[in-house]
Amino acid sequence: MYKYNHFIPLSVYSVKNKDIIPDQWYNIIPDLPEPLSPPRDHDPERSSIDLLNRILPSEVLKQEFTSRRYENIPEEVLRQYEQAGRPTPLIRASNLEKFLNFAGKIFYKYEGATVTGSHKINAAIPQAYYAAQEGVTEIATETGAGQWGTATALSASLNGIKSKIFMVNVSFRQKPLRKRIIEIYGGDVVASPSSLTHYGRQILKNEPDHPGTLGIAISEAVQYTLDNGIRYLMGSVENSVITYQSIIGQEAQKQLEIEGEEPDVLIGCVGGGSNFSGFVFPFMKTDVEMIASAASEVPKFSKGKYRYDLIDTAGILPQLKMISLGADYVPPPIYSGGLRYHGAAPALSMLVNSGRIRTDEVTEEKSREAMQIFARTQGIVPAPESAHAIATAIDYCKNPENTGKTVVMNVSGHGLLDLSIFGD
Amino acid sequence: MKLALYFTFPYPSGETFNKFLNRTMPLNYEYVELGIPTEHPYYDGPVIRKTHGRAREEFSMELLKDTVQTIRETGKKAYALVYCNLFENDADGFMSSMKDAGFNGMILPDLLTDYYSMRRSIASTVSSHGLELIPFFNSTTPDSVIKEILSLTHSWIYFGLQPSTGIRVPLDIQSMYGRIRNLCGEREIIVGFGINNAGIIRDLRKVGFDGIAVGSALIDSMEKNDTVAFDSEIKMLESETHG
Ligand SMILES: Cc1ncc(COP(=O)(O)O)c(C=O)c1O
Repeated sequence: MYKYNHFIPLSVYSVKNKDIIPDQWYNIIPDLPEPLSPPRDHDPERSSIDLLNRILPSEVLKQEFTSRRYENIPEEVLRQYEQAGRPTPLIRASNLEKFLNFAGKIFYKYEGATVTGSHKINAAIPQAYYAAQEGVTEIATETGAGQWGTATALSASLNGIKSKIFMVNVSFRQKPLRKRIIEIYGGDVVASPSSLTHYGRQILKNEPDHPGTLGIAISEAVQYTLDNGIRYLMGSVENSVITYQSIIGQEAQKQLEIEGEEPDVLIGCVGGGSNFSGFVFPFMKTDVEMIASAASEVPKFSKGKYRYDLIDTAGILPQLKMISLGADYVPPPIYSGGLRYHGAAPALSMLVNSGRIRTDEVTEEKSREAMQIFARTQGIVPAPESAHAIATAIDYCKNPENTGKTVVMNVSGHGLLDLSIFGD
Repeated sequence: MKLALYFTFPYPSGETFNKFLNRTMPLNYEYVELGIPTEHPYYDGPVIRKTHGRAREEFSMELLKDTVQTIRETGKKAYALVYCNLFENDADGFMSSMKDAGFNGMILPDLLTDYYSMRRSIASTVSSHGLELIPFFNSTTPDSVIKEILSLTHSWIYFGLQPSTGIRVPLDIQSMYGRIRNLCGEREIIVGFGINNAGIIRDLRKVGFDGIAVGSALIDSMEKNDTVAFDSEIKMLESETHG
């Protein structure tokens, strides 16, 4: 039997989870074509970078500025990843191919298959784990769509600590089920702007009905962290978060290899850039095409500028050089709460700016259509955010120039808690 | 292990600056870095940042020339640490004045970030005036960029340990050193940013760095005109690096 090994496709063997889940995260920074502009302080009197020592778990902070290309994933984090549903499947969307009459192949990596229903758990588990290891008893964070808050609440519980979640007010109202599930997982959720922080109280005084933004919610979570001597978990944008999300792309690489496939294009949606970057960065050394899909209503790629800007509206965190619509930008209340962030991760912004990564912007209307098409063909109701990637992929497949290509998209989450996008 | 001392020039005033610099002159150390003051020292921490404002008011070219000469007479090398926006419009004229002031070379902290697209032309202007360009790298400088800049220069390397001066975030010194050593081969690597105590100097020495640069840690005593505290700091630095 052994002498035929070379001729038997890998897929014939029974593949174990640990053959697919990588044991290291990949950090793209040392492989970037240009240096990343470092974070900057904007207040001349103090160092917001130094302040990160009191905001982030110290291991996370270390990984934020690391020069290591690969970071070992702790055993316990690997175990929690498996418990949370990793590896997620890579599925051939042959019904969608048929529906589109597409002569090529479409695959999707399905992050909606994790227990919390999105990729967010990939970054929440390690951060909560490191925080707990360091003796932190409570963590705080923001959430837009609610996916990150859900993942944080579960990760905190898995690691035996408490969580406080500042949820953008519009989402809090649009998505009561999100609030419920965060609570079931053991999280304590409040609408932002809130009366729990000085910054929130100031905003509420002027505008009691303020819809909230991710920038404000981040500010509140960070302020609450500093006020209470706890630690803050970031859901996107930071290098370390992108590194944790590299598990998506590394698994996909393995799975494509097992299928004997080489992708021509990778497509994903972009809010802060974590699922997209985590999905595509491990492929950066190949010449595969990459398309980042954002919301037309939050047109960061077409109208944003590549410049230093604040991460959070209050300006507690350092400034980053990124594509941004401005930290004080108040986005329209589209359902894709996860795509309402004003900026995009620095490494992603650089690669978009240099032309390595192409971009697309999709309207809410079109993303709703894509949700329906995907539900009726593949049986999965994607998250409205992920539906942007699907809409971009559908357009890509409809373009005659792309006939016969192999398309791989990342479906970052399911939309079962977002059904109100179709009306009440 | 080598020692480089950084001073924003001339802080807090021309007179006090000279007084303190002169106290270091008899000591056994190799390099002096003089920060030429600028409006936006973006990549410095708050301690050094605030020195730039006062130093701008006190700055004069004659004073600079005298100072560099004093340094060179002791056999130490003098380097100008300059943000590129200071010479954006006339790199040639500026480098000529730096050469004229007597500097051995230039350290440009924002060359590989904000001025990345101009790196080759700036590097060639620097060397056309007989100045060394000291590559400034940190842990987030990509491998390919490090290799390119090494090929354009011949001097020692300045490696920024921390994301900015005077601050301390947790680091894995061993792996940082391993990577940069691997890329830089035999070239001398001087490490700086956030170095303020004997413990960290010993750690850096042990992993294999060739030298350290210290700046923020000296400012407080200069500001307070406290020669006792200043002397004890520089003696500690001298004995940790050369003892
Ligand atoms: C399902 C889903 N996809 C995508 C995003 C966008 O975030 P990112 O760009 O960081 O992946 C979010 C954010 O909340 C989300 O919940």
